[in-house]
Amino acid sequence: MRLVGVRDVSKDFANGVRALEGTSLDIEAGEFLSVLGPSGCGKSTLLRLIAGLAQPTTGTIDWPSGKPDLGFVFQEPTLMPWTTAIANVALPLKLAGIARSERDARAAEALSHVGLAGFEHSYPRELSGGMKMRVSIARALVTEPKLLLMDEPFAALDEITRRRLNTDLLDLWQRTRFTAVFVTHSVFESVFLSQRIAVMSARPGRVLSELAIPAAYPRTESFGTSAEYAALCRLASAQLSEALAA
Amino acid sequence: MSARFLAPVLVGLVMLGLWEGVVRAAEIPPYVLPGPILIAKTLVSDWSTLWPALVITLEITFQALIAAVVVGVLLAVLFSLSRWIELSFFPYAIILQVTPIVAIAPLIIAWVDDVNLSLLICAWLVAFFPILSNTVLGLRSVDRNLLDLFELYGAGRWRTLVDLRLPAALPYFLGGLRISGGLALIGAVVAEFVAGSGGRESGLAYRILESGYQLKIPRMFAALVLISLAGIAIYLLLSLLSHLLLRRWHESAISTER
Repeated sequence: MRLVGVRDVSKDFANGVRALEGTSLDIEAGEFLSVLGPSGCGKSTLLRLIAGLAQPTTGTIDWPSGKPDLGFVFQEPTLMPWTTAIANVALPLKLAGIARSERDARAAEALSHVGLAGFEHSYPRELSGGMKMRVSIARALVTEPKLLLMDEPFAALDEITRRRLNTDLLDLWQRTRFTAVFVTHSVFESVFLSQRIAVMSARPGRVLSELAIPAAYPRTESFGTSAEYAALCRLASAQLSEALAA
Repeated sequence: MSARFLAPVLVGLVMLGLWEGVVRAAEIPPYVLPGPILIAKTLVSDWSTLWPALVITLEITFQALIAAVVVGVLLAVLFSLSRWIELSFFPYAIILQVTPIVAIAPLIIAWVDDVNLSLLICAWLVAFFPILSNTVLGLRSVDRNLLDLFELYGAGRWRTLVDLRLPAALPYFLGGLRISGGLALIGAVVAEFVAGSGGRESGLAYRILESGYQLKIPRMFAALVLISLAGIAIYLLLSLLSHLLLRRWHESAISTER
């Protein structure tokens, strides 16, 4: 079932830069989709348009069964430094007007799902980069959204932390089956995580090709070292090169 | 006691010792330059005159500071809500700030019948701008992504103000407050000087003027010492407040150990 359809969308910024041109993309309910493209190709813009944080200049974004609750994970953790991890996670519930006791309980649960039980009352500055990103993911998931939009969330993290977060993210996705749209410029990350990759060209960006990643879940470390994985990465890499040349 | 405290105290004691020594050796008369011991003695002997004067000056200072906080923060919030209001009014706030208070004080004192109120207005005029400009800066320095997040979850202007903009502006506001604390005292003292005799009740500045006319130079110095001490106390008090509010999260208030 189609959750959202991006139809021939273009986006011009006020400074005259055309970020997207004629982009079309269907996102199926429950899938894990990666959007792969070079820096500055308008991936983030596409995500912001889907989130409703910006409006397309031309084209439409349609929601066949209505716009669902959605969560958004930014490139940086984007936490409020003046308050604790649990209050940061509880923010969407607070803004939805949910009572304090309920939102604290749900926020604590969301924190334990990302492996941060016991850190409820830590301030962001007391947490490592990876932990801050976990708080950010917990905050995006606390409302139990149907759609989770992620804008290069692990780009600033070290390789080891990034790998752990990738597997943990897949765990979360398998457990609750939200629809995941994951923007990245890493071929390896996109192949490891997703069922489908949409490859974007350089600015002005548009979706040039799509690639299915048929490997079964759960995908573990051993998938990451398999010949199948290497072959798929080569394929995705080739498509990305084509997109860059286009 | 670390060297951090010991070093400046030592420097102070040496300077005072030199001062006393020079005054005694050169036999400088006290109506030209009193030594620190005489000033300390005067501080004690004239306490009954100086203390009420200090209280009056401090009252005006704190009233002006509170008024500066209220008006400064309210205006800053108003500016942050509407770009047009900010564009229309901010230049006038700057004009108020750059016009020397000594120049406007006589006007205000002439217009306002109540002397205390006119002093309050003068001190407020000097104190409010740092709070206004810092808070405006703080309200505008909010993380763009956090603003997006609030929009995403349908937070209105009010919620965004209370839960996002105001906490984000707090460190900036507190920085402005520390500057304004000192300025409020300066404003109060300057206004008292211009007002001269403020009726029956008179602050420290009037005591300084009066001592000058009567050639009671040691008392003049004693009043000066009190003003300086009051300024230092206000600064320390506001620094403590800032530390207490920011110590859990803001880089400025966190110990350097890592």
